[in-house]
Amino acid sequence: MTTPAAALVGVTQQFGGFTAVDSIDLKIPRGRLTTLLGPSGCGKTTTLRMLAGYSAPTSGRILIDGEDATRTPPEKRNLGMVFQSYALFPHMTVADNVAYGPKMRGVPGAERRRRAGEALELVGLAHLGDRKPKQLSGGQQQRVALARAVAIRPRLLLLDEPLSNLDARLRVQMRAEIRRIQSETGLTVVLVTHDQDEALEMSDEMVLMRAGKIVQTGAPRDVFPTPADRFVAEFLGYENFLTLADGRQAAVRPEHLRVVPLDTPADGAVALDATVRDVAYRGVDLLVTLDATDPAGTAVRLLADHRTDAAAGPTPSAGDRVRLLAPEARLALLPALSEPELDPVTEGIS
Amino acid sequence: MSAVLSRTAKLRHPVAGTLAVLGYVVMIVPILFVVATAFTAGSTLRFPPDGLSLRWFGEAVAYSPFLEAVVSSLELAVLATGLALLLGVPVTLAIHRGRLPGKDLLEGLFLSPLVVPELVVGLALYQQLMIGLRLDNFTTLLLGHTALLLPYAVRVTGASLALADPALEEAARGLGASPLRAFVTVTLPMLRPGLISAGLLGFVTSFNNVPLSLLLQTRDFRTLPPAMLDYVQQSYDPMVAAASTLVLAATVVVAVVAERTVGFAKIFGGINR
Repeated sequence: MTTPAAALVGVTQQFGGFTAVDSIDLKIPRGRLTTLLGPSGCGKTTTLRMLAGYSAPTSGRILIDGEDATRTPPEKRNLGMVFQSYALFPHMTVADNVAYGPKMRGVPGAERRRRAGEALELVGLAHLGDRKPKQLSGGQQQRVALARAVAIRPRLLLLDEPLSNLDARLRVQMRAEIRRIQSETGLTVVLVTHDQDEALEMSDEMVLMRAGKIVQTGAPRDVFPTPADRFVAEFLGYENFLTLADGRQAAVRPEHLRVVPLDTPADGAVALDATVRDVAYRGVDLLVTLDATDPAGTAVRLLADHRTDAAAGPTPSAGDRVRLLAPEARLALLPALSEPELDPVTEGIS
Repeated sequence: MSAVLSRTAKLRHPVAGTLAVLGYVVMIVPILFVVATAFTAGSTLRFPPDGLSLRWFGEAVAYSPFLEAVVSSLELAVLATGLALLLGVPVTLAIHRGRLPGKDLLEGLFLSPLVVPELVVGLALYQQLMIGLRLDNFTTLLLGHTALLLPYAVRVTGASLALADPALEEAARGLGASPLRAFVTVTLPMLRPGLISAGLLGFVTSFNNVPLSLLLQTRDFRTLPPAMLDYVQQSYDPMVAAASTLVLAATVVVAVVAERTVGFAKIFGGINR
């Protein structure tokens, strides 16, 4: 196997008495896009900042290209960082911002301008080189920040919540844009985000973090259907949790619960009888809140998305007695609930 | 800034607006009288002036005690301002960017000269430095004025630093700049408006200072304000009005430069924040 582009070995970061990152091991695969995903305070940004050299780990080692870089200052790491605030130099033109990295490396003027032009070309802003950052839109500033990070031909491109300051439409566009830049340059990218959709759509490899620890890693296609525990499941949008007849815990997404009339045959699906508590109209579907009893006999509150087209069957309304069908293939089985999962960290995740 | 303030005040509160205008009248009208009497052709400080002439300006400029005092004042103001910035900027950086404990205490310490009565400071410096350590009065004045200007240097440059994104310096480092180069190419340009403001404010404050300069003057080295006070005590002729008018004109020039380069709101915003 080739050396990973970067690796963290037993890395811990403590601030005062608070452990932000707790003894994590992580390998960043070369030429791929890895996301660090988790709720705020999970340690993902701290991890990225340690990788970039902006804060030294309390213990553990950081390897870049197989070499120990734990104590290497940021200016000697040759990593391209895009900050959440973009951190463009306000007193310099866009072109000078992008040429700053090559300039610090002693690249002569003409070559520097050529490289800056090339990087701006890559993000489609070659025509705005003479502007000041303030004169650009948020999306354009974001692209300049990307160009500036790419212009140093970094060993890794590090992105700290790069899309969080953009409006919803632009955010979705930039996901594709960052993927394109990644595949055109072949760069190794590490992206920090709290947005599971962003991570699912963009990642080759996802690293889910919680309370300073890594809880699950893998490709989105592998992680999504098989969340490692209730925390991951909740974070990935599994709203419903129930205990099956054999005592196992399962998670199921609202879009996989079918609301059908009481006499509908189960056909191999897990069937629950339920009472509709509330129905909220959302355009393409209805969000149906139900009170049900799970196969283990526990009362549970469940959410189901019910499509508004005719194929979905009769429209439920509050007070109706209905049947809920959860296809076996759509159930994500979870290990039995363990202590840390009761931690308040899981509260308030979007 | 004041003009802007009174305008907005007048719009929102008629009473406050009227008071503001009254305040300016009380402040500005006497000054206008001084300026008017400076142009008199007569030989007494009187309004209305007896005829019009530049005679007393000529006398003021030729009067060697004033001339020497102006040179001393300028010398002291430039040096004290320079020293205050040289000391103040690192302190500002430490307060805003450093990780040292007790930052608030440090900031309070450097702002304290603003609240301690200057006469007390002056007397203390006189006792301890001039009498105790036998420093000459120029050195003592320089130290006193530097201490007096430090709060401006710390606060005003701090205001511009607080506005700058700390990630800027990190970005520069990440792009390959050493800490020193990051400071010179990124932090310093961010600080520039603050440095200009603090410099101008410091200069004017030192130039106009009376209490310290009065207590620490000697025959060898004295600044303009004590020299003028001294003159007024002896003779009450229009020359002192002419000298005042010249100082006023110079201050107005500095103020206009400050307003054009940085803006008063920014300068004073730094202190009041």
